[in-house]
Amino acid sequence: MAANGTDHAEYKSYLEEDGGRKGIFRWILSTDHKRIALLYLYSMMAWFIIGVTLGVLMKLELIAPGKTLIGPQAYNATFTVHGVIMIFLIVIPGLPAVFGNFMLPIQIGAKDVAFPRLNLFSWYIYVIGSILVIMSLFGNGAPDTGWTFYAPYSFKTGTNMLPAALGAFVLGFSSILTGLNFLVTIHRMRAPGMTWMKMPLFPWTIYGTAWIQLLATPIVGITLLMVAGERILGIGFFDPAKGGDPLLYQHLFWIYSHPAVYIMILPAMGAISEIIPTFTRKTIFGYRAIVLSTLAIAFVGYFVWGHHMFTAGMSGTALFTFSILTFLVAIPSAIKVFNWIATMHQGSISTEVPFLWAASFIFVFLIGGLTGLVLGALATNVHVHDTAFVVGHFHFIVFGGTGFAFFGALHYWFPKIYGRMYDKGWARTGWMIFFIGFIALYGPMFYLGITGMPRRYFDYLEEYHGPNIISSLGALVMVTGFVIILINLVRSAREGEKAPMNPWGGTNLEWQIPSPPPLENFEEIPVIEKATYKFD
Amino acid sequence: MKKVLITFLIILAYNTSQAQSDADVEIGVVEKLNQTIPMDARLVDENGDTVIIGDLIDKPTILNFVYFRCPGICSPLMDGLADVIDATDLELGKDYQALTISFDHREQTFLAVRKKNNYLNLMEKKEQAQTGWRFFTSDSADIARLTEATGFRFKPTGNDFIHAATLIIVDKNGKITRYMNGIYFLPFELKMTILDAAEGKAGPTINRVLQYCYSYDPQGQKYVMNITKVVGTLILIMGLTLFLVLVLVKRKKTA
Repeated sequence: MAANGTDHAEYKSYLEEDGGRKGIFRWILSTDHKRIALLYLYSMMAWFIIGVTLGVLMKLELIAPGKTLIGPQAYNATFTVHGVIMIFLIVIPGLPAVFGNFMLPIQIGAKDVAFPRLNLFSWYIYVIGSILVIMSLFGNGAPDTGWTFYAPYSFKTGTNMLPAALGAFVLGFSSILTGLNFLVTIHRMRAPGMTWMKMPLFPWTIYGTAWIQLLATPIVGITLLMVAGERILGIGFFDPAKGGDPLLYQHLFWIYSHPAVYIMILPAMGAISEIIPTFTRKTIFGYRAIVLSTLAIAFVGYFVWGHHMFTAGMSGTALFTFSILTFLVAIPSAIKVFNWIATMHQGSISTEVPFLWAASFIFVFLIGGLTGLVLGALATNVHVHDTAFVVGHFHFIVFGGTGFAFFGALHYWFPKIYGRMYDKGWARTGWMIFFIGFIALYGPMFYLGITGMPRRYFDYLEEYHGPNIISSLGALVMVTGFVIILINLVRSAREGEKAPMNPWGGTNLEWQIPSPPPLENFEEIPVIEKATYKFD
Repeated sequence: MKKVLITFLIILAYNTSQAQSDADVEIGVVEKLNQTIPMDARLVDENGDTVIIGDLIDKPTILNFVYFRCPGICSPLMDGLADVIDATDLELGKDYQALTISFDHREQTFLAVRKKNNYLNLMEKKEQAQTGWRFFTSDSADIARLTEATGFRFKPTGNDFIHAATLIIVDKNGKITRYMNGIYFLPFELKMTILDAAEGKAGPTINRVLQYCYSYDPQGQKYVMNITKVVGTLILIMGLTLFLVLVLVKRKKTA
């Protein structure tokens, strides 16, 4: 391989290659997959800061019973917009758009994605959708339906429902086009010799995710159009007074939004599957099992949406079926966890920062997954449905899963992306504070939920006060950790010491090209001979 | 024992109250969907021959009750039927048939023949209607059985009758599958109704596609497009096509 040499002094990295453009146009007109990945990263970080602010606002409100900071209407709006931003703007596009864009072509030995212009276009759609969502915060009242836009309230509320729903609709197109782009890239542009079973696991998870993006996202688009039709034209899809069915809305919404959970978690699992072999110096345990469980999760994930609606009034048969399927989908997830742990077994573990994130990912994901089984079982679901327990569960999965994997991937690939190393001491400190804050913030929610505190209320009874204080303080600790991580990374991207080509001793293609990579990644398309994750 | 008795009484009370509400309708149509008409009822055809209705019904069939001397709604109803037969692309006599039955037992065959000839002259599909649209009279007992079984309630006033206008669609076993009320009928509604009565077994593939995409809304009494089903299928077909293209079509060699 041409890029395998040690002397790269003569090349121009993608960060220096400006395509003859000036200023911001070097970025917003570039079709380079790596620059587009960073465009996504920066825009997501901006929205993430807004989302976190709204989250902290809620936790501060809940630090004591009664109104402390914001009233009921403002609280409803806060949790709605917090949810919409976090789900639609960050965790769904998150790993695929940032690391999928950056690493997928490199890991399969391609110069770019299949449709670079479409890729840039997807980012523009993403930005338009995001702005619509953020706009809904202003004007005559932010939406107060919850991020799920449940009918019939969503077409009756007087608040800014439409911009938020329209934003989610537009974002869907970005998701679909990105998925399509990746599918074609993976099918068509793998380097010679890279058979399906030699492909690294991160591209595999991107592949599974891309199918979900392509097939499930149109459904939420249609559903949100139906809500718009209901609000503007009064058609009556979901209005019982006009012969509609509000339950239909829930079905349609979750037919998309449950597979969307797998859009969030699959690439996260892929990133973890990259990090663990590198820092244990071992081939991944059960490569085929992980590939198969990726596809199994993507497939079975389509048929479990009903477990969001156990108390909504479905038939007994439907409840039973959805419950069984929910338990089934836990199997491939557990297979992955076992494989990661088996990979670590007798490995030469180095506890670098990315590994810390990966290990803590497994820990929180395990808690999130097991509490998911409590919710998936019909009998227990009835008791904890719509309580703080659910909030704890999905933050462990969505934030603890996808979020931890995102930060892990960021610390893992950071030297490749920027060609500079971050301060490991601060990164470690940031991780530690963040992790402690995370557990303190979401852990008490399980207890609160079991004892009966409902979700989505700005107020609670005095008996819930203690755990809520821990939770609110946890939020502040976690945000402190986040700020440390952010400052460290931003500073290091500019001033960190130069990173070598392969700082972690990884085996995949991204570690065999210079840091940061040149514009078209490879001087010459590599030919793949050995299996992935082989340490000499 | 007591429990059984109470249950029985409740069921009885419930059933009588149901019957009561049905019986309340003196004139009009009480829908008897999924019930079978008496297939042994006797009719007299245009030639004066006595036939058994069960022998006639071997395909989806439109029944309609009129009386031939009727000065009121019967003619507009039959006009509507003639129009929709002309407008639909289904073939009368092959895909479906129409039986018009006089519910006035005093009427004779010559009135039926005169009426039939009137309508044949109006229609474009004369050939098909000659065999596919039949006109009958009958005796008072058989008329009573047929109209009672189909829920068609009418009332004599002097020499005439007060009654409703409806088409009753039965499948080839005589089971009532649909009522089309009123005097104007859309060819699309007729087609879907006939296809439903044929249980999707007959007809070209496009008909099956139509049935898949549209479902009957009992409340609005019309066919509505099943948007979720259609869109879901389209998405899956697109996804499958993409997958097959990616797998089957060889990739081009790039420089």
